[in-house]
Amino acid sequence: MKIRVGVFFGGKSVEHEVSVISGLQAYNAFDQDKYELVPVYITKENELYTGEAVADIANYKNIPELLKKSTRVFLMGEKNGVKLIQYPEKKFGSSEVAQIDVAFPVVHGANVEDGSLQGFLRHYNIPFAGCDVMASAVTMDKYVMKTVLKDNDIPVLDCVTLYGKEYESTEQAACDRIEAKISYPVIVKPVNLGSSVGIKVAKDREELREALEYAFTFGPKVLVERAIMNLREINCAVLGDYEEAHASECEEPISSDEILSYEDKYVAGKKGGSEGMRTARRELPANLTPEKRDEIRKLAVKTFRVLDCNGVSRIDFMIDQDTDQVYVNEINPIPGSLAFYLWEALGKPYKELLDDMIKLALKREREEQSMLTSFDSNILQSANLSGAKGVKK
Amino acid sequence: MDILIFGIWFAAYLVGAVRYILYLMHMFQQNSYKPSEYGEWMRVHTNVGRLLGKSLYAVISLPLVLIGNTGCMIAACVMNGMTIWVNKPHKAKKPLVYTPRVKRMLVTTGVLYLIAVTVVVLPGLCMTAGGGILLTSQGVLPMLKHPLFRNAELILLLLFMLQPFLILLANALNHPIEKRIDQYYISDAARILREMPNLKIIGVTGSYGKTSVKYYLSALLSTQYNVLHTPGNYNTTLGVVRTVRENMKPFHEIFICEMGAREVGDIREICDLVHPDYGIITSIGPQHLQSFHTIENIVSTKFELADAVPQSGKVFLNYDNEYIRMAKTNKNVVSYGVMSEDADFCAYDIAVSPRGSSFKIKDETGRAYEFHTKLVGAHNVQNIAGAIAVAHTLGIPMEKLLYPVKQLESVPHRLQLVRQGDRILLDDAYNSNKNGFKAALDTLASFKELRILLTPGMVELGEKQYDENKEVGVYAADKCDYAILVGKEQTKPIQDGLLEAGFPSNRMIPVDDLQEAFRMVNAIPGEKQKVILIENDLPDHYA
Repeated sequence: MKIRVGVFFGGKSVEHEVSVISGLQAYNAFDQDKYELVPVYITKENELYTGEAVADIANYKNIPELLKKSTRVFLMGEKNGVKLIQYPEKKFGSSEVAQIDVAFPVVHGANVEDGSLQGFLRHYNIPFAGCDVMASAVTMDKYVMKTVLKDNDIPVLDCVTLYGKEYESTEQAACDRIEAKISYPVIVKPVNLGSSVGIKVAKDREELREALEYAFTFGPKVLVERAIMNLREINCAVLGDYEEAHASECEEPISSDEILSYEDKYVAGKKGGSEGMRTARRELPANLTPEKRDEIRKLAVKTFRVLDCNGVSRIDFMIDQDTDQVYVNEINPIPGSLAFYLWEALGKPYKELLDDMIKLALKREREEQSMLTSFDSNILQSANLSGAKGVKK
Repeated sequence: MDILIFGIWFAAYLVGAVRYILYLMHMFQQNSYKPSEYGEWMRVHTNVGRLLGKSLYAVISLPLVLIGNTGCMIAACVMNGMTIWVNKPHKAKKPLVYTPRVKRMLVTTGVLYLIAVTVVVLPGLCMTAGGGILLTSQGVLPMLKHPLFRNAELILLLLFMLQPFLILLANALNHPIEKRIDQYYISDAARILREMPNLKIIGVTGSYGKTSVKYYLSALLSTQYNVLHTPGNYNTTLGVVRTVRENMKPFHEIFICEMGAREVGDIREICDLVHPDYGIITSIGPQHLQSFHTIENIVSTKFELADAVPQSGKVFLNYDNEYIRMAKTNKNVVSYGVMSEDADFCAYDIAVSPRGSSFKIKDETGRAYEFHTKLVGAHNVQNIAGAIAVAHTLGIPMEKLLYPVKQLESVPHRLQLVRQGDRILLDDAYNSNKNGFKAALDTLASFKELRILLTPGMVELGEKQYDENKEVGVYAADKCDYAILVGKEQTKPIQDGLLEAGFPSNRMIPVDDLQEAFRMVNAIPGEKQKVILIENDLPDHYA
């Protein structure tokens, strides 16, 4: 019997397309001898579709056509497992399309990667790979993440947060507040979006306003922090769980603009565009001194464990080259392409990485089960223990 | 008038008969659907009395129906009402489960009824019909009069009295079908296991301790592997089959299979299905002697597991147990225990505190590890030692076992410490034996609170029934402050033992049932906190 893995990708997110690429990449990299794969495409309306068609990237050029060729399903948790049931259900015969033993979310961005999909899967009692609800939510909110890391003495940049409505009514005061705490140039970003979406640098108040307005189009809450001008960015992935975690090779993304833009990150190859992170321009391994590499990898593992991450997460660092200080910038609980290239650089094939992630998912599941296991009792059912209810005779 | 009386009589009859059948069905189920055990149960004199009681009013009905005048018939209706009353369902601890098998048996019983009634009533019906009376409007009523009614009533009453045996007949008739259905499930489970060639299977058997060891082993192995174990006390072939068919997932790496035995060959039957790679025999003692007859049979049955393990596998043996130590096997043996210093894994330096127990075990290099557990009782340490022996042999380093051992929870009803409001329950309710009973009493004795023993004594001990129960009675005398004994008649041996050992008779409280027992617990006066040892549960067919 092969382990049936449901690979979930897409979803109501600005990174929908990237997720489709990452998801299908993973889908194709799984060891077919060990796993039976069920592709589950989440549309931008959060509807679930499965079938052969959703497993082929070529079909995503025309999504309405793709959906016609695919089967819409819903999840159904039953005593002996989770099933994908065709919707609308058949009038006659079984509507069961597939059964899955483990869910494998490869989704990016708010509404999916931030614990939403994880919570949805948890509801069905199905083991799933990657970070759990809490870790997903905390890492996706850059402000909450910073406070947790700060509390654990992991270096992060100080920041100010601001709500869109608050800014709207108290524009001057808000800007004053930012300027009082952080000196220009500053960088403005939505608090809960990954993949460099909505980010701008501001060198004065005018640019700050512009950057804020821009960021608020992506989310109701933004974060402002000092912009490091002499910046190096280094990324490092971590694989494991709270008990045991290991760091990958480090990479240095090559920025074409002042910050790594969305285009840099995912559309770099331009021609194909469907190769995901693999073709993003980068230096791998990053050119670091052994000491710096070691420092970053240790910090990556510490960050991963402090946030109780699971599976593979990528931690993005910033080095202020003026001071040589390293800061944690952000954490991707489900990095693009699952950061498999960072593991390949250490000699670990993608297939093996996926295998490890499944094992970690099952480990978390059984640890949880061992905590929750309730045995059925019979003696106290029939015994009328009036004392237990507080009735004194 | 006749038809009305018959209608009332028949309706009342149906309710009473259905209640009686369901009761018998329940008992048949409690006796594991085994005609021999059910037969055994029927011969116990209290049960004979119970069955007679339930069919008494049907017996009284017989002459009334034979006389058959209106007065007698009305009396017969009243008798049926009485039958309904005496057959009112009792609140059962393990109620009848309407399995497909039970439903099939009930259908067969119904069909048997129908056939019997038809055979008796049909000839008369044909004769009347042959007379053409059926065709006339006023002829219908005479047709329904004697002797047709009376015949039907008589046969129904006879059937009622024969119901205990009717169940057996229905079972025998269904047997070929049941066997084929079982066979289908068994081969389906075998297919699933075949499709998982990398699955390691561990058989766990023993007269006692096997369920505990199963749970502990599952917890320890789960630190590193995906483990499935048979749930609860599913330890028959069909229990294993059900676990495999319903719970086995492709990601499971280890299957821990509890194997119970009531007869010679039971363990072999399960082994033939699962083909264990490893086996662990937790203990051997005189349990289920009624069906095994001799202790030698028990030993050889438990060692059917060792026989089934391949030469490349390993057999884990509890060397504290003399029967196990003496038994011969040509397989690779790994031994464990708490008293056996020569064992491969021997727990020593055992210390008990209110927070649980601690002990040491050495690995194969001689390095000692100190373990802590919340569990109490020497036999628990022994069982944990067995689980450690298996888990370590299967590749988990000793230091990785320290944490899961500390996390182990009591197996329910196996000397399980349960805090309940202001009192402490020592729940040791599952099928007891003498050694377990004494060990539980030792644990009870170690408490400083008010110590209460609550037990119906031990059952199914054959000719040792009196002696062994009396022995624990003697043993219990200085281990508890109060003894609440469930079943005034049944607990006589324990009462004798307690009194003989000088236990104050005013602190010995025999009661009729569990409900009353708990009322008594509440009624015991005093400010002191109460610790109640609940020893041996009460299957409904003995309660």
